Amino acid sequence: MEKSDKELDSTASPELVRKPINLGTTLAICFAGWLVPGLSHIFLGKWIRGIIFAACVLLMFLLGLGMHGRLFDLMIEEPLQIFAFIANVGVGLPYVLAEKMGSGVGTMSAVTYDYGTTFLWVAGLLNYLIILDAFDVAQGRKP
Amino acid sequence: MRLSHFEALFVFALIVSTVFALITKNTPREQLRYGVFVFVSFLLVAFVVGWIMYPLPL
Repeated sequence: MEKSDKELDSTASPELVRKPINLGTTLAICFAGWLVPGLSHIFLGKWIRGIIFAACVLLMFLLGLGMHGRLFDLMIEEPLQIFAFIANVGVGLPYVLAEKMGSGVGTMSAVTYDYGTTFLWVAGLLNYLIILDAFDVAQGRKP
Repeated sequence: MRLSHFEALFVFALIVSTVFALITKNTPREQLRYGVFVFVSFLLVAFVVGWIMYPLPL
């Protein structure tokens, strides 16, 4: 049988769950985490976790670019591409920098094109999950 | 950069399992156990699906 939130709160160790930070600051921390992957956890004092998250997301993003994956733009004439764009833009600043540098054009003839594109999508999607985790930590919902 | 299918799968599984383990579990022991479970599951499922697809004329 699952425990209710109240029961879980009463059994949680008081030193594990932090005091909630106000919503404005929490959102600012999440925005920083979107811009630079892992930064939100570093701001919350979770250095090791933040560095591991940053390494994971950036490594996946760079591998995706190295495998000739494609970064998608927001294009009105191709409405279904918006999902790919949302996944790609989750990486934040690295996406903007790669676009400015002309990377991520995608070489369809490359054998690793599909793998690379998937790596680029998943890097962004993982960063969304990391941001949500940072939100929960900042709100005192998890240690 | 030219990774083989298995190398790409290995790196993908390693990164995703690391992030999943750190996000979903709280203690280092739980994180290690869950991370290894997710990583091995990724590889096992890929092998199983690969063998299931092997006889199909694709």
